[in-house]
Amino acid sequence: MSKKAEVCTASGLPLTERMSTAFPCPSCGEGIGRSARCRNQGVPYICPGCGFKGP
Amino acid sequence: MEGESVPLMPYEEYQSNKVHIGTQTKSQDMQQFIHEVAADGTGLHLIDIEQTDERLQLAANFLGMYEARDILVVSARQYGQRPARLFAQAVGARHIVGRFIPGTLTNPLLRTYIEPQIIFVTDPQADNQALSEAIGSKMPVIGICDTNNNLRNVDLCIPANNKGRRSLALIYWLLAREVLKARGFMDDETWQHTQNIEDWESSF
Repeated sequence: MSKKAEVCTASGLPLTERMSTAFPCPSCGEGIGRSARCRNQGVPYICPGCGFKGP
Repeated sequence: MEGESVPLMPYEEYQSNKVHIGTQTKSQDMQQFIHEVAADGTGLHLIDIEQTDERLQLAANFLGMYEARDILVVSARQYGQRPARLFAQAVGARHIVGRFIPGTLTNPLLRTYIEPQIIFVTDPQADNQALSEAIGSKMPVIGICDTNNNLRNVDLCIPANNKGRRSLALIYWLLAREVLKARGFMDDETWQHTQNIEDWESSF
């Protein structure tokens, strides 16, 4: 598992809000961050390591 | 990601368990996972089984990155309760089936308070109480999403029929096998012989 993400992978916002999250990429383990707004709106993220597109 | 991968189970098996059957309504979020509309005139949207299989592998890989005790499996749906409980017992995870007591993930004064690291929901819509508490606790969320669900607050979606008895049994059965395989505790043959999918189906 690589380093935990500190910013949102989709928007670049820092993960300081209560409803944000950081987790390893399900495909390669690279750190992925999601801000509260991106999670709430279901904004797609792309893993910087392997290109996996979620959610 | 790229390249041909061997499916976890023959696609015919998925189809016979109706994993690909969606609903008559579809959401914009789930459009990417929908293969076609059923030609039999029912208007049901059919899910792309290849993507379901791929996502199941990813979900098993993802769950394998966490300690078993840090995983929480939730199912408010009747048909998901037995498979969710058996899955949790097989991999050593925690489970909450039936009514989710509000505050379980957020109120430390509650007797039932727990602090998992990741949550797996059977239906993001039916398990909305667990989902809203999980996102408030900064937990990643894995969800089985049908064609009518949206991807709000879901971090990894498994596109599949989350309403069918046999469909949920197959999904949890496969997922348990793959998580145990990823940990090196199980192989396909032993799992096939010791666990019967029909035993994982809810009955009432």
